[in-house]
Amino acid sequence: MRSLAPKYLTAMTCMAISISFASIVQADDAASKTINIAIEVCAGCHGVDGNSLVPTFPKLAGQQKVYLLRELTDYKTGKRVSETMAPFMESLTLEDLPHLAAYYAKQKPTPGIVSNPSLLGVGKTLYLQGNSKTDVPSCESCHEPDGSGSGKFPRVASQHTEYALDQFRLYATGKRTNGARVMKAVAERMTEEETRAVAEYMASMP
Amino acid sequence: MNRTLLSSVLALMAGVIFTSQAAHAEFKQPHAAGIETYGYAWNSPDQDMNRALAHAADASKGEAAYKVCKGCHKPDGSGLADANYPQLAGQHASVIIKQMMDIRAGRRDNPRMYPFSGEWIVSAEEIADIAAYLNKLPPPTTNGKGNGYNLPRGQALYLKDCASCHGKAGEGDAKKFYPMVAGQHFSYLKRETRESRDHGRRNASPEMVKVLKNYSDADVEAVSDYMSRLKTTR
Repeated sequence: MRSLAPKYLTAMTCMAISISFASIVQADDAASKTINIAIEVCAGCHGVDGNSLVPTFPKLAGQQKVYLLRELTDYKTGKRVSETMAPFMESLTLEDLPHLAAYYAKQKPTPGIVSNPSLLGVGKTLYLQGNSKTDVPSCESCHEPDGSGSGKFPRVASQHTEYALDQFRLYATGKRTNGARVMKAVAERMTEEETRAVAEYMASMP
Repeated sequence: MNRTLLSSVLALMAGVIFTSQAAHAEFKQPHAAGIETYGYAWNSPDQDMNRALAHAADASKGEAAYKVCKGCHKPDGSGLADANYPQLAGQHASVIIKQMMDIRAGRRDNPRMYPFSGEWIVSAEEIADIAAYLNKLPPPTTNGKGNGYNLPRGQALYLKDCASCHGKAGEGDAKKFYPMVAGQHFSYLKRETRESRDHGRRNASPEMVKVLKNYSDADVEAVSDYMSRLKTTR
């Protein structure tokens, strides 16, 4: 045992190290594959870290993981329809989607752009209290007072106003239907001005 | 020639109108049989409702699930008097479950509420959890009240016609699905009482409709005012 013990010890240590390396490398593989996808497939519109520079492409940085995964899955299965997204979804498999969702959820969102600060007062009231005259519930009840969202309710803080307005229109006209029954009712009850005000207020939230 | 043109234009218009209705049809409240139907039986067994009632409700889960409701009904369940969002705090869980399922199924007409009652936003189990949570909340005393001009009449009517089901103090009856009326907003009570009298509230109990048959609008207002001022003993 005297002469064997050091050999065994060395062999076992090497095995242990290589096994842990293997799992690190595997994890690295998944992570690097995700980052490659993010760079090659998504970054052109959404930015490398999910902070898109084009206001019609949503910011993904800091988005709720559950929400992102649902939207990506719905794009892949056709439950959510977008001519813009369709060709890019073809290069993704269902297995990629949870990793992508987790990746973007971890990114730090940049501040939103407020183009019409005069609307912020109305927007804040609507966001926090809704409009009881037209039965618009407060946005904060689902999207949280700070706009960070929760689970299946998306983060709306610092989002592009143009993207938000597009979604209000798509909901109101029944063109976006995934997970949308409540949002359709909400969007239908809001005026165009109200959606503009809320979009500005959402953009203003850090 | 002109007639063919006219009829094809009309057909086209009809097509446009019908397809646009169809596109929104899935978001319209269904219409289930109610009190207007011959042979209507109040509170008939319903699978959705039974699922919710059978669920071992968890009020702490209900607090989390309630978030999608508090945008109108407020974090303390107090609703809004002016907008006729009812006060829900302290209400019997069975009553909340029944009303939600009646709206979901279209036995009670409420297009404002309908989008928020469906299984796309809350499951039957979540409704049970939310109902248990709301039942535990203390009813606020700041509910909307009437003008107080006809309370003696309101009291006389209430004790004669309403107390036998809704309780002397307006506490209702959880087992029998009779709502607590104490501390509810006056305008909501007035509307629901009037609608029950006039068959507008189609999930009303026929016994209630019978009792209200000869109520004038002033009677409805007086009894609603009286109920809005009742306080439960909690």
